[in-house]
Amino acid sequence: MARPGFVLEVDDRTPPLIVHNGEGFLLERFPLGTRVVYPPEALPPVRDVEEAIQNALLNPIESEPLPELLRAGMRLTIAFDDISLPLPPMKKPDIRQRIIEAVLELAAQAGVDDVELISANALHRRLTPNELRDIVGERVFRSFFPDGKLYNFDAEDADNLTHLGQTRHGEDVEISKRAAESDLLVYVNVNLVAMDGGHKSTSIGLASYKSLKHHHNSHTMIHSRSFMDHKASKMHHSAWRMGEVLTEHVKVFQIETTLNNDLFSGGLGFLQKREWEWSLKDQASMLAAKRGLAAAPSKLRHKIYTDVRSPYQLTGINAGKIEPVHDKTLEMVHAQHLVEVQGQSDVGIIGVPYLSPYNVNSVMNPILAAVMGMGYHFNSYRGNPIVRKDGALILYHPVPYEFSQLHHPSYVDFFEEVLSESTDPATIEAKFEKQYAEDPWYIHLYRTSYAYHGVHPFYMWYWISHALDHCGDIVWVGANRKTVERMGFRSASTLQDALEMVSHSVGRSPSITYLHNPPHLIADVR
Amino acid sequence: MGNSVVKFASETVRDVKVVARGWRWGRRAQVPRSAEPYVVPKETTVFPTKWARTPAAMAVRDVLQKGPLSAVINGTTKPTVSGLDALRKLNGPALIVANHSSHLDTPLLLLSLPDAMRRKTAMAAAADYFFDTWWRAAGSAIVFNTFPIERRSGKLSATPGDLLADGWNVVVFPEGTRSPDGWLQRFRMGAAYLAVEHNVPVIPVGIKGSFAAMPRGRNWPVAGRPTVAIRYGDPLYPAEGESPRDFAPKIAAAVAALLDEESTTWYESRRRVAAGTSPTQTGPVTSARWRRVWESTRPVKAAESRRKAWK
Repeated sequence: MARPGFVLEVDDRTPPLIVHNGEGFLLERFPLGTRVVYPPEALPPVRDVEEAIQNALLNPIESEPLPELLRAGMRLTIAFDDISLPLPPMKKPDIRQRIIEAVLELAAQAGVDDVELISANALHRRLTPNELRDIVGERVFRSFFPDGKLYNFDAEDADNLTHLGQTRHGEDVEISKRAAESDLLVYVNVNLVAMDGGHKSTSIGLASYKSLKHHHNSHTMIHSRSFMDHKASKMHHSAWRMGEVLTEHVKVFQIETTLNNDLFSGGLGFLQKREWEWSLKDQASMLAAKRGLAAAPSKLRHKIYTDVRSPYQLTGINAGKIEPVHDKTLEMVHAQHLVEVQGQSDVGIIGVPYLSPYNVNSVMNPILAAVMGMGYHFNSYRGNPIVRKDGALILYHPVPYEFSQLHHPSYVDFFEEVLSESTDPATIEAKFEKQYAEDPWYIHLYRTSYAYHGVHPFYMWYWISHALDHCGDIVWVGANRKTVERMGFRSASTLQDALEMVSHSVGRSPSITYLHNPPHLIADVR
Repeated sequence: MGNSVVKFASETVRDVKVVARGWRWGRRAQVPRSAEPYVVPKETTVFPTKWARTPAAMAVRDVLQKGPLSAVINGTTKPTVSGLDALRKLNGPALIVANHSSHLDTPLLLLSLPDAMRRKTAMAAAADYFFDTWWRAAGSAIVFNTFPIERRSGKLSATPGDLLADGWNVVVFPEGTRSPDGWLQRFRMGAAYLAVEHNVPVIPVGIKGSFAAMPRGRNWPVAGRPTVAIRYGDPLYPAEGESPRDFAPKIAAAVAALLDEESTTWYESRRRVAAGTSPTQTGPVTSARWRRVWESTRPVKAAESRRKAWK
């Protein structure tokens, strides 16, 4: 039986606690009385995955069964979440592969010839053929990729975009032409966290810059409180409005899956456990991992982490009409992630891990480290943030000056050129966004290489705008001073120093909450 | 290069120290108070102890008990044993029942037994405490010939019955756990049930002074070789048709009388038993814990300074 998440209060019996710190982790002793939010344990999986998939396809919610929607001579498009989900990547076989194979099996039986598969990567980088194969599996890859029927979505290919109209708020809905003109669009989603899925899948995953800029901007994102609660997120409201327009034109069969919290196994299995329950073996693995990582050259350390594959298991699958399917999905996600927390605190602490959605198989640059801490984890709440207004946020990550020229070319210029001028999201949006979004070199790299779109770092910076606006102080522990200073933050050597630095705003004995994340959690702050 | 190796080594030492301290190596692990409601009760797996009663294990145990264990116990405490005559009245295996206030009780009791009987004596030990890790289980089984019993669930283990049937004496502390203040706690029914069920006599034993010598929380006796008194009483036999519920108070009363005898004389204690005026051994009724501890840690008089049993 999986135990629920809970809030630990650090006392004299509490051992040092794990804090994720980039490609490594620390053992930190927190001040007595610190609240530590632990995620629920991994929920029990569905007994038979294949049976669950079949059941979802044949008994969908508010929709005809999939076989009834398939017929010979139709245009079928299958879109799927890209490599940014799940985090860390899943052990093979990927759940998307299993679902796509089941859908294709039914399509083959119905005699559908015109099938295309699209990775819904929006302005994310293209996936390499190997990455595509890892997601869809060998059979699907071999059947479709050589003919160009399995490909990445290209948001800059004007000839292959269709403008479906505008929402009642005047927002443009422009998506992949193939998807828009299909008789049926099947979307295969991995709903790792509550932010994913629903209308965000197609309306964002297959949309162009013209469409995305309506919700990916500083104003909307600062009012998305939080991204993990679509009913309270302006970005999601916009995506939902776009979804209404989209579904008027396109028949969408949404398949959403939920995974449990089984993130780490083998030598890193101790990261899943509550520290005081570590066996001698867990303690030994932790010491071996910690010292091993310390001794390893940075390339090896990077490879060790990049190679982590999580043994997630499927906790639920729902298919059919987007909204009711997503409601069911959220029930499962909340069961896995929600932890009730009573009240906010003066100081929030977050350990930023080695991975964000945008550096799978890549390096975590300073902007992505900030996004992971202040965009992803800080926003992982429902109700209120864990930190009170004008409270302090303390983050752990080394924040090295490290960029991937292949994946993040515009990030380098954003960091050097834009952030040196201003760190205010609204200012940089007004002054620089258009230039980066329309830069032909970035567009060329996005379309032909494996680069994130030129505008992507701006979206990252907008994502943290809520945290920037909400927190009075943001201090990084153990970070490269120069890089965090460029981003407008401060760096401390130790937690004690960080608490000292923020004491002018939160006092000498502040209330502290530490989010013990990952495994993923959503703090339900009452 | 040399510097980085030294740095790595010193950081490794530091990390190991942090873990050793944080996870209390060598001591029992602790759960933070706020996490206690979420602790999953351990699945009870019965640790096999049959091997500990093989001739080879018995030989090893004999060496361990008569050698290092005896040296440590006699070096740190001054045990005085009386009433061993009662054991001569036995004719077969018996259930040895004693009060329990210290980890010293087990070795003191074992070492006070005549050798032949000691070799054929097994100890009932709490499964959740002594059998929670393999090394603690194996260690206690080889040194003390322990076998696990469940003290929480109330489930009766088959092992003590089997042992009695095989001719082993079995030691049971019916209080279930060490006394928090040295005074007698409520006796549970298990010992009476075993005696009635297997029709074996009960040898009551009163142990006085062990709490003062090494109370809960200590893992080594206090300095100064404190005297600890172990007093054996006459065997009690369950009467024909007597239920465990009726027999249990007699065992408790016998142990209490032995403790009373320790502070007076045999004859005085017998007269008080007859008159029904035996002082309670559950300690003074007071809300102040210190007064109970104060009374229970009053030093036991050394044997030579005591009055004789017959004045």
